Amino acid sequence: MHILGVLLPDNQLVKHALTHFYGIGKKTSQRLCARVQIHDRCRMRNLNQSQVTALTAFLSSPANSPPVAPHVLAAPTYVPPPLSQPVPQPEVAPPVDRLREIKIESDLRRQMRENIAHQRMIGSYVGRRHAMHLPVRGQNTQSNARTARKLNRVERYN
Amino acid sequence: MWPTAVVQGGRSAWKGPFFVAFPNLKHALENNIAIKTQARACTILPNFIGIRFMVHNGKDYIPVTVTQDMVGHKLGEFAITRKRFTYKQTKNK
Repeated sequence: MHILGVLLPDNQLVKHALTHFYGIGKKTSQRLCARVQIHDRCRMRNLNQSQVTALTAFLSSPANSPPVAPHVLAAPTYVPPPLSQPVPQPEVAPPVDRLREIKIESDLRRQMRENIAHQRMIGSYVGRRHAMHLPVRGQNTQSNARTARKLNRVERYN
Repeated sequence: MWPTAVVQGGRSAWKGPFFVAFPNLKHALENNIAIKTQARACTILPNFIGIRFMVHNGKDYIPVTVTQDMVGHKLGEFAITRKRFTYKQTKNK
């Protein structure tokens, strides 16, 4: 099954298949499943149309997804009002919804490239090391440094 | 799961950023005098913008002009401490 152009294998659990997206790991994938109400052992082929639509809608713009109502737990000292009166709604600020702040695929790659370009532009050590195709965080370079030689570029793509 | 440590730079939020209070900041900005410093770990604050620093790299002082984009970085990031290896042919064998 394809969602937003990414091939998700049909026989995999949804929480594993979602990690095929660049920028979604195991934890984010589990939270994402909980958010769109897909159960833990559900596989990709068992998803119905509305669930696929919900996933696609969320992933296409996480920031614009509808906010989740906060479920406030009562304190141990809470005494419910008598039935004749209306139940007062507690006033709490909704917690920061980190799942709406995720970036995936091209958005995330663009953000990474912008961060490297920023470092390069201001001429910091990190930017220089990226431009020299060398490790950034003090790793040894006497031998190998293979990952850095492969990946570290100013215009980095993965 | 959420990268709070990256946002805070691994430092407790209640401490705020580490910086050195340069006493001659205003004077340096007005007269365009370079501030000579060894405080490489000093965070660049918004009121450092436009000031010229001479940052120690372990051997000598490297000129660094602070711009808007550098705010939040450290002074030491802009004064490299390592020399590129160059092969020099020996004269006497």
